[in-house]
Amino acid sequence: MSTYRKYWAFARVAASEAANQRAELYGRALFFAVILGVFAALWRAVAEAGMPLRAEQEKLVWYLAATEWILLSTPQRHMQIQDEVRRGDVAYQLPRPVSYPRAALAQCLGALLVRAPLLGVVAFVSAFAFTGRMPALQSLLWLVPFGMLASAILAELYVALGLLSFWLTDATPLYWVTGKLLFILGGLMLPLELYPRWLQRVALCTPFPSLLAGPGGFLINGAEQAAPLLALRLLFWACFSFGLVELLFWRATRSLQVSGG
Amino acid sequence: MLKNLANTARFCWALLRTSLKAVTALRGSFLLSMTFMALNNATFFVFWWVLLGRVGTLRGWYMADVQLLFGISAAGFGLMQATLGGAVHLSTLIDEGGLDPLLCQPKPTLLYALGCRSQASAFGDLFSGVGFMLLSGYLSWHSAARALLCVLVSFLAYTAICISFFSLAFGAKKTHSLSRQLLDILITFSLYPEPLFGGPLRLVLFTLLPAGFVSYLPARVVKSASTSDLLCLMAGTAFYLWLAVRIFQAGLRRYASGSRFGVFG
Amino acid sequence: MNTALAIELSGLCKSFRVRRARAVTRLSSVKDFISPISEHVIAVDHVSFAIQPGERVAFIGPNGAGKSTTLKVLSGILHPDAGTAQVLGLTPWRERQKLGFHIGTVFGQRSQLWYHLPARDTFELLGHVYELSPARLRERLKALTEAFELGPLLDKPVSQLSLGERMRAEVAASLLHRPRILFLDEPTIGLDVSAKATIRTLLERQSEQDGATLLLTSHDTGDMERVCQRVIVIHTGRVVWDGSIAELRRGYLGKKRVRLLSERPALSFALPGVRLVAEAAYRCELEVSVEVTPVGRVIAAALEQGALHDLTIEDPPLDEIIQAFYRKTSYRTVDPVPVPTPIRVAQ
Repeated sequence: MSTYRKYWAFARVAASEAANQRAELYGRALFFAVILGVFAALWRAVAEAGMPLRAEQEKLVWYLAATEWILLSTPQRHMQIQDEVRRGDVAYQLPRPVSYPRAALAQCLGALLVRAPLLGVVAFVSAFAFTGRMPALQSLLWLVPFGMLASAILAELYVALGLLSFWLTDATPLYWVTGKLLFILGGLMLPLELYPRWLQRVALCTPFPSLLAGPGGFLINGAEQAAPLLALRLLFWACFSFGLVELLFWRATRSLQVSGG
Repeated sequence: MLKNLANTARFCWALLRTSLKAVTALRGSFLLSMTFMALNNATFFVFWWVLLGRVGTLRGWYMADVQLLFGISAAGFGLMQATLGGAVHLSTLIDEGGLDPLLCQPKPTLLYALGCRSQASAFGDLFSGVGFMLLSGYLSWHSAARALLCVLVSFLAYTAICISFFSLAFGAKKTHSLSRQLLDILITFSLYPEPLFGGPLRLVLFTLLPAGFVSYLPARVVKSASTSDLLCLMAGTAFYLWLAVRIFQAGLRRYASGSRFGVFG
Repeated sequence: MNTALAIELSGLCKSFRVRRARAVTRLSSVKDFISPISEHVIAVDHVSFAIQPGERVAFIGPNGAGKSTTLKVLSGILHPDAGTAQVLGLTPWRERQKLGFHIGTVFGQRSQLWYHLPARDTFELLGHVYELSPARLRERLKALTEAFELGPLLDKPVSQLSLGERMRAEVAASLLHRPRILFLDEPTIGLDVSAKATIRTLLERQSEQDGATLLLTSHDTGDMERVCQRVIVIHTGRVVWDGSIAELRRGYLGKKRVRLLSERPALSFALPGVRLVAEAAYRCELEVSVEVTPVGRVIAAALEQGALHDLTIEDPPLDEIIQAFYRKTSYRTVDPVPVPTPIRVAQ
């Protein structure tokens, strides 16, 4: 029990820190609203040209609101981990009776608990303002827990990216490409149905569709049928990402060299 | 006066050479950043490839138009970050007192602050931007000079915008992420076709959030060779540059008066 | 204003508006956002002093005393609220760029060297900043490389230099254009003993060679003692001492440290104003308040108990003197050796 209390303490501190970074939160909220506005305009133009999907443009705006909510709520811990690895600070944390990657995850979850509600409100208000419609309440209610879980898994994947800096001087370029792959293969802006079949098959081999398109799809096609399968997929990817982080950290500590002097 | 200008020009050239040398000092990291940023931009374009592949056109804009728009914005931004990369770090410099050593040296503080950094990823933006412009098919021997001018003007517009946004730090602490979000919002607008936005929003995009000057107007000039558009573009960019310098100077006066925050020791 | 002086301040004042957070309550952060409270903090309060060309002056004080603010006003970074300042006959905040050609700065916690490049590249850039001709730059670089032993370091990336090596390069960079005044803010911070000694020797030597005026702030009394001839102490924005270091020792604390090596295992002293600081077999160290008991009496008392093999009489460590200033204890009114602007020591 005391182990969980330790990680809960990390989560609380991170939540407090996230709450204090108001300027950053408001900036994110503003960016979110702008993205939704741009895409509302885009989907109106697409509708004029002939919708390529069996979905109304308003639902696509709500879809984007959901996927962006998951993405923007996720803390990006990889930069901090990279800095700690570069400076050698990580070595001083190893003797502590707490797992470094699990503490990092706990901090991500703490920050998530602050960001997700605020950005959720922004998502809801902006999407409603741009579309004038609301999706089914049930779909929204299903979205919340699935979205939070997806965000937590994504946070763990970012931790894994950060741990790669034990081997790479700079993991930032890898983060850019991963981010873009997440956008494309996760169906951030476009539902996967619009993609060529081969790209859809490629996407399904990655965790990205389960993290973004899956929860976002609740607002287009409803949640009842999709939820059980998505839950299994998310559980699988949660175990995968957790295992990946533990493996990376174990390999990293075996070959850790701290330069001193 | 001429002698001063010549000295300043020599200093700017030396500063540029030094910052380029610094950014390429770690060759592996430089090449990785450059390549992955180009890849990042190409991956983003898959979105347009999929969407326009399905609908063909969006309010009269085809894939070539989107490629040109994206190319100009990326090339202008890349050129700015490659040569005047200190612009997006101005707020950090201001917050951490990094302007102090620059103020003690006998060269224009703003130029020094802008030119003291170069970003490796910027070269990826620059090369991918040029690549997209070439792919668009709008570039030819006849339009090359016009296109180059438009990229240069986009670069100046981005510089002016970054100076203005990141000078917010003169007014309050820890504004870097807010300034960065404003810049990201502007970049977002600059990458989407102009016809999507109408009415009051279009006014905003040519005033408060001048995405119009970094991509829309330059793209129009390349496509149509309109003299009036070119004059409007140059005049608008010159105005924003002048305004940005005034904002920075006003901020610097505030910094020097110490009323920014209580720093004493 | 006397244009023969290197630096002249008269009645300099500088204050800042600082935001203060309310005591934490449920709505305190909202109230702070809507209606923030600000306080007026006086950082520099009617500071006046003058420095002759070629003088090496330590400018010391506790954290928050106003040292860095004064230095920033003198280098043109900040504008004062009131008072006047002339540096080489120029008003710093009005003629900043012109002054920039004649001053050098070393900020201990901030580097002007480009991190991933060899120091040589920074020197070449600075050559353009200070408009040195290529021949002049070569000549200065050669002289500074010899003086600072930078030969093996010049072509190594700064990121690969040790802190001591980096500081040597930093100080050399600040002297490239042969400034008439050098402002140093904590130049030896974080350096080991040997590196500190090297920097101090180099500063002293260069100042004597080039006739440069030094104004140095530091928390390390070694910097003051080994580099500077004069010390100005600032506390809560006001100058509380301005005189030579020797005067500071002699006049301020009125104590001596006496170390004795005697033939007896232990000595005892029942004299007023004598305090045992350290003791070992056959050795002892005493602190003697010379106003209460002259040192001669202490030595006589020791000789009465047995022969002395060795005797050392020293001033107390400068650290203690400075701490006493900061604590405002052991004040004595004393007139220091006259300097261009005599200052009465605060009681």
